[in-house]
Amino acid sequence: MKLRMRLTTLVAIALVASACTSTPSSSGSGGGTGGGTATKLTIAAVQGVEDAGLKALAPMYKQQKGVDIQIVEAPYDDLYSKLVNAFKANDATYDLIMMDDPWMPKFGTDGSLSDLGALGIAPDPDIAQVVWDVGTWPPPRGPVPPSEKSKPKQLLGATIVGNVEMFMYRNDLTPTAPASYDDVLTNAKAQNKPGTVAGYIIRGKATNPVVADFLPILWSQGGDVFDENWNVVFDNDASKAAVNFLINDLKAVAQTDPGSTDASDRDKIMANGQGYQTSVWPGEINAAVLDPSITKVAGKVTFIPIPKGKSGKGVGMMGNWLLGVPKASKNQQAAADFIKWMLQKDTQLTYAQNNGIPSRTSVLKDASLTTANPYFPVLADALQAPPNWRPRTDQWNAVETIIGTHLNKALTGGETADQAAMGAAAEIRTLMKGAGYPTQ
Amino acid sequence: MNAAPARPLAFAARIRTAWTQQSRQERLVYKLLLPVFGTVFVLATIPFVLAVVQAVTSDRGEFIGFENFGRALGNPLLYEAIKQTGLYAAIALPIEILGGLGIALLVHRTVSSNVVRAAIYIAAMIPIVIPQIAVGVVFRLVYAADSGILNVLLGQTGPNQPLWLSSPPLAMIATASVDIWQWTPFVYLVMFAGLQTVPSESVEAAQVDGATAWMQFRHIELPYLRPLLLLVLFFRIADVIRVFDHVYVLTGGGPGNTTQFLSLYIYRIGFKFSDLGQASALAVVVMVAMILFYTVVSRYLPADRG
Amino acid sequence: MIHRSRRLTKVATSALLALVGFIFAFPLFYLVATSLKTKADLFAPVPSLFPPAPTIDSYTSVLFTRGFGGLLFNSIVVGLSATALSICVAFAICYPITRLPASPRLRAFVLNWALSLRFLPPVAVVIPYFAIVRTIGLYNQLPALILVYTIFNLPLAIWMLRGFLDEIPREIEEAALVDGASRWHAFRTILLPLSRPGILAVAIIVFAFDWAEFLFAFILTATPQAMTFPVGVQGLVTQFAIIWNDMAAGGVIAILIPLSLMIIARRHVMSGLTFGVIRDK
Repeated sequence: MKLRMRLTTLVAIALVASACTSTPSSSGSGGGTGGGTATKLTIAAVQGVEDAGLKALAPMYKQQKGVDIQIVEAPYDDLYSKLVNAFKANDATYDLIMMDDPWMPKFGTDGSLSDLGALGIAPDPDIAQVVWDVGTWPPPRGPVPPSEKSKPKQLLGATIVGNVEMFMYRNDLTPTAPASYDDVLTNAKAQNKPGTVAGYIIRGKATNPVVADFLPILWSQGGDVFDENWNVVFDNDASKAAVNFLINDLKAVAQTDPGSTDASDRDKIMANGQGYQTSVWPGEINAAVLDPSITKVAGKVTFIPIPKGKSGKGVGMMGNWLLGVPKASKNQQAAADFIKWMLQKDTQLTYAQNNGIPSRTSVLKDASLTTANPYFPVLADALQAPPNWRPRTDQWNAVETIIGTHLNKALTGGETADQAAMGAAAEIRTLMKGAGYPTQ
Repeated sequence: MNAAPARPLAFAARIRTAWTQQSRQERLVYKLLLPVFGTVFVLATIPFVLAVVQAVTSDRGEFIGFENFGRALGNPLLYEAIKQTGLYAAIALPIEILGGLGIALLVHRTVSSNVVRAAIYIAAMIPIVIPQIAVGVVFRLVYAADSGILNVLLGQTGPNQPLWLSSPPLAMIATASVDIWQWTPFVYLVMFAGLQTVPSESVEAAQVDGATAWMQFRHIELPYLRPLLLLVLFFRIADVIRVFDHVYVLTGGGPGNTTQFLSLYIYRIGFKFSDLGQASALAVVVMVAMILFYTVVSRYLPADRG
Repeated sequence: MIHRSRRLTKVATSALLALVGFIFAFPLFYLVATSLKTKADLFAPVPSLFPPAPTIDSYTSVLFTRGFGGLLFNSIVVGLSATALSICVAFAICYPITRLPASPRLRAFVLNWALSLRFLPPVAVVIPYFAIVRTIGLYNQLPALILVYTIFNLPLAIWMLRGFLDEIPREIEEAALVDGASRWHAFRTILLPLSRPGILAVAIIVFAFDWAEFLFAFILTATPQAMTFPVGVQGLVTQFAIIWNDMAAGGVIAILIPLSLMIIARRHVMSGLTFGVIRDK
């Protein structure tokens, strides 16, 4: 009897509690349907260093404008599936969403986001043109998916993390920066001491990680995934040479286990002084490589744009994080106002002081910020270059998965570099044809 | 003339007779069962029906027949995923079940202290309640090259250290080992509890007759445990097709697609390829295959006993 | 001679058990050790087995700085409610098929159907569930999770509960009915008290499974007001930052609550785990 009493009480408490906690949530996403009258904005954000600055700004916005900012974080892959779901269901929970730039074609094609231009956000010359271009759909340059050709161009996302993949090397081991990927390999061979220092660190974990590491190499060496007409060129000579360069040349002078190395592992190797050079995202620099509480290489790392390859250019890769307003949000104008406020110069300065990665040229070049963020000027230049973006197609996630699986397989000895290039190319062709592209 | 309308009436009358012929108690079965079971049945079946609908319609809602099934079954990667899942199950399940059973027998026969038994029991519960992601991360910290604690403890830190997460056979073993770590204790708990219910008189009688430990197991305990073993085996097989989080964290499906098991494959088709039609078709195929499998196995399960 | 060989076997089995126990305990130990490490320890080139300077910062970070206390509360509410609902539903389904003369065919149908629920790969049905939950307006609300968990753990609940009810002789109840008690009265005063250990055992196992669920908790919620603890823990695995100490602390916290429940009720859980399939019949 006593037991039953206890059980009954527990159940009663649980049910009452569940009723209590769920009642307010029904009005949680509300806050008024009118334009700027919202008292609360909910932002879906990626968990990690990319949203650190955003979180720092939230209380300021409350103070200045009286609007609560609720930031809901999810890890990279989970955020994507969550957004796909939310858009499919036309859900109004999120007023703003953070998205990685390769996701935008999917959301643009599906028509999930509002036109920021219509909400009063206009390109600002202090922010590199490529930053506005990457938020525009359909894409202003490069191949346009066949289904999107007739759509009017709209600004669907505003960059809040100006991410361009760069390159870093140990300036205490070699005095001069590698000018080309030939130099990268030569230096790697000279510096590689198995078990002590890796000549080059490959981020080679399956799917997204290895692709993010490889695309700048592919482009710089003159290869590509698609040409201007969506034909797959991942198995042409230049692309094959680039795959061979990664799988055969760089792997020979890389760390012990490139096949399971992700960004955090690479940062750890670099911060401990066990690696000589590698590519790097801005977000990794202050959170890991140069974090004073852990780094053993303070002052010994130089950040440069991606070295030149056989194409004669060094092509960085964009990985901008953008803020967009879901069409389903009931606080359209208020959401856009927040973006405008975030992009103002004084907000961007505060943002940069709080581990945010700004996109304004004048902020990136601000001398007061350079000591804490030695890579800012390089980033500003990289944005002006301009860097490449990943092919603008809603099929990109699938393409990336295919390439990433094959590269990982080759890195771990499951197939040769040529097999990886040709196998991936064949699968991508099937995929793109199935999706209605004029791919050959 | 009157035959046509009379026929349904006769039918209804027959039903009524059948109904009244049943005892009041039998009718009570239906009266009690129907409301709750009916509701749950509908609630649980709707998602499956929606999955079927999604599998036979396009994004725009047109009926497209079995196109998605054709694409799902025509993809060679599916068979690769099935093969790898099978291999994973072939490594993990026998060890889990034999290991769980073996340890249960050992503890049952050699450990008499209730305190020790209780401690083992409580410890065995832990792996069920840890968030999957935490399991994955801890094992990544164990297995990683260079920074993993396992290779450090083995004294293998040089360039030739075993690459637990990126050499194909080792990656399979590493992912399966997590499954074994997590679910052998569950099998143990079930088996140990089952052993407690074997009537002690039969065991004592056998011992008086001079039966060896093996004979005692083979002829007395095993018959008691057999239905339980099948039930556990069945639950574990159903769970292997759900394996996801720890593999995702450990290897991301790599090296290549060595550890891209069925659930990772469906995730890849559904979310990475945004092909929900094909993913639903896959889900329907998996479910139907499992039901067929179950129909065969269930003959040996005690479902309709009583 | 016999004595010696017996002692030898005993030593050998104890050694074997100790070895198995050690292998089993190691990852748990490393989870706890990691939760007590600092960021600098995590970045050390050679990982240490024991935290060089143990700190509970990760625990305060998880519970307070990151505000996971609220998620923990949600998890408890969802776990208890879903468990209670599972038990009620399972009881309502098991009562007629075990206590009344249900035809074997009906019985087999109900039990087989329940088990077949376990075959749906969750990755694939999560989208249909999402659509339903949105349609009935329960998205991002705890009742949605309670409902879904109830359905997902029904196979376990029904199968185990049926085992317990099968073992309570029908005659006891029938004696009361003959004495003129109503079926409801007999249920309340006889069957319910007798099946108490069974109910508790099922409840705890179901609670454990509810507790660790991630996928549905993630897809069916949008903000921390409905998210559960595993969703929060999952969020600690980021692309660039290494916060494995916080993650490990989350893992340890997630263990402690169900574990204490199980310690309280271990005897009942034990009898529950036989699934009732092997009693002498």
